[in-house]
Amino acid sequence: MNDFTLVRANLFRRKLRAMLMIVAIFIAFLIFGVLASFERAFSSGETTAAANRLVVNNKINFTQPLPLAYLGRVRGVEGVRLASHFSWFGGYYQEPRNFLIAFAVEPDSYLDIYRDDLRVTAEERARFLADQGSLLVGDVVAAKYGWKIGDRIPLSSNIWTNSSTGGRRWDFTIAGILRPGKPQSDTNLVVFHYDYLNETRGVARDSIGVVVLETVDAAVNETVAARIDSLFANSFAETETVTEAAFNKQFAAQFGNIALIVGLVVGAAFVTILMIVGNTMVMAIRERTREVAVLKTLGFPSPRIFRLVLGESLLLAFLGGIPGLLAAAAALAALRPLLAGFAPGLALAPPVALTGVGLMLLLGLATGALPALNALRLNIVTGLGRD
Amino acid sequence: MPRLLAQIAAVTAINVKSMPQRAWLSASTVVAVALVVAVLLSFLAMANGFEQTLRGTGSPEVAVLLRGGAGVEINSSISRDQVRLVEEAPGIARGADGRPLVSAELYVTVDGRKRAGGSKANVTLRGMGPEGAAIRPGFRIVGGRMAQPGSAELMVGQSLVREFAGFDLGSRVRIANADWTVVGVFDMGGSVFESELWADIATVQSLFRRTNVFQSIRVRLDAPDRLPALRAYLDADPRLKLDAKSEVAYFADQASSTITLIRFLGWPLAIAMAVGALAGALNTMYSAVAARAQEIATLRCLGFGGIPSFVGTLIESLLLALLGGLLGAAVTWAAFDGVTASTLGSGFTQVVFAFRLSPVLVFQGVVLALVVGLLGGLFPAWRAAHVPIVRAYGNG
Repeated sequence: MNDFTLVRANLFRRKLRAMLMIVAIFIAFLIFGVLASFERAFSSGETTAAANRLVVNNKINFTQPLPLAYLGRVRGVEGVRLASHFSWFGGYYQEPRNFLIAFAVEPDSYLDIYRDDLRVTAEERARFLADQGSLLVGDVVAAKYGWKIGDRIPLSSNIWTNSSTGGRRWDFTIAGILRPGKPQSDTNLVVFHYDYLNETRGVARDSIGVVVLETVDAAVNETVAARIDSLFANSFAETETVTEAAFNKQFAAQFGNIALIVGLVVGAAFVTILMIVGNTMVMAIRERTREVAVLKTLGFPSPRIFRLVLGESLLLAFLGGIPGLLAAAAALAALRPLLAGFAPGLALAPPVALTGVGLMLLLGLATGALPALNALRLNIVTGLGRD
Repeated sequence: MPRLLAQIAAVTAINVKSMPQRAWLSASTVVAVALVVAVLLSFLAMANGFEQTLRGTGSPEVAVLLRGGAGVEINSSISRDQVRLVEEAPGIARGADGRPLVSAELYVTVDGRKRAGGSKANVTLRGMGPEGAAIRPGFRIVGGRMAQPGSAELMVGQSLVREFAGFDLGSRVRIANADWTVVGVFDMGGSVFESELWADIATVQSLFRRTNVFQSIRVRLDAPDRLPALRAYLDADPRLKLDAKSEVAYFADQASSTITLIRFLGWPLAIAMAVGALAGALNTMYSAVAARAQEIATLRCLGFGGIPSFVGTLIESLLLALLGGLLGAAVTWAAFDGVTASTLGSGFTQVVFAFRLSPVLVFQGVVLALVVGLLGGLFPAWRAAHVPIVRAYGNG
């Protein structure tokens, strides 16, 4: 009989109690796995952003327009390798509640800049570039509405009016499907030719949303940003150039401090199990005081007894925690299609899983420390005397 | 029957009095239930506060006119000619000077910095004329004065001042290449408008190069039931492709999606945590029953039936849960009630709201706690009622 057998036998001596502890720990790690992964995916724009991608937006606010002419001037700035632009369309399909993330873009340069995030086949790309009335559809959107390449799709805008028809509808042909280049790439969008919108909307001619650019190296980001902003200083539309990561982070922060909320909930869940499991472990070891004294009498060294008790609480933490994380992974897989637009690439990420394992270790040590210490210090005579 | 009640009372009293013997374990159940209830109530208080802010915004006597299909102000666009036509419309109240109470407004988004964390967020800058304040019931200046027409002066809502840095009375703010001065702080009963910056319409139009462009028209109606007359007038004129809604309905429509989202997050989380707490409660009550096995057996020998043991144990469990539920509600109230936060509203700008705990929410929290207590007590109570007398003594 080795020590592990002893630890296991001790833990399951009261099966019901052990099972209840495991359930409590399981729930806490399920909550942790789901919430931490959600938070990570929600703020994924920050982590998946290309290091050398910058966003030039209007200094007043990113929803204020910039003149189209800025694109050419940004391209001329030293340190800029590629530049493109995109504008919010306020799009929806048939009814306003079928809201779409739709951007009017400069087609060629847009696909170049996002080459690592949005994948299209060469054939689809050529078809998209050749037809000004065509549309590229993210795979998530195509799946949602059952759209296929070649379909004629009307999209409406809640901002612009189509001056050629007087309505709010624009007609498109689907030229291709945008597929994620990385697991966390967000493909919940549709993009189309800016020129198509610009020539037909009648108003706001030659104004764009933001310019997006790639620097020659992430190391020159700050210099390039400063050069661009000084270029447009004191003009009607002053700019603020930030990294894509900072832009995405600020955007996500508009919804609220999601990280804080997740932290508080996970904290509450862990305090709960710390209380429950900690108390139960103290009680369980106290019930076995006499046995501990017997072990000591038999010549078990105190450090070994310390390890036995700690091993029991660690085993408990892992027996609840590992299935908890696995259940979280399953729950995330189920939630993934539902939240594709909100938190792309929702999955149990390795860093979250590793943190989880770290937390199991901490939980096991924290709940086992006191009873283990009590067992370590136990005087054989008092131990045998206690009933 | 009275005898049974007396027995139940006696057993319950013994149980309650013996709680301190298992103080730590009982306390851990109370704390676990309290945390579950606190998490639930925090989410519900958040949803409730946001809802109160939106539902508290708008007056039934005010109609909002937007370009047809725009849905929210930020998407809308209205010309000066349309404004003139609307001024002729029926059903509109007139001010002391005999002019119709019509406020044409421009809604632009600017950057603000949150006091907490300093992150940038979208803030509404509303350009309006002097009619803007006049048509809004409940508007009240609480510091400084009204902005002068034609000036770069700002009035700020008091919710905005609390949540965002740099907009205190007298501050200088740089927006759109101009220096603005905050000259007034206003109160509008904690409504969405209190999350806004207000300025003179002509100044905003010229600095944002939107001369003669408006985004919404607000009119004060003669009476709330005059809206159909106004609508009929709009429908009859092909130049007026505008939607008219009562301001109350306009904001109520915006409330639903965010509130549903918050509630859908809160309940599953609380229920999952409740399952964890239930495991703790079961453990506590089983331990309590085990510790009392001898007492229970003694009572049974004295002629007590199984029912008093059952009910007594159940009551103990419910008491612990109730205590936890009330503690959780108290913690939520102390930590969150009245705390302000802000999130994106449907106008794509920040709406400042306060967490609001209500008796109805506390009741829901306590019910959840009692469910945990009931389930956590039921099985141990069953065991208590069926302790075999001989084995109970044998264990000692």
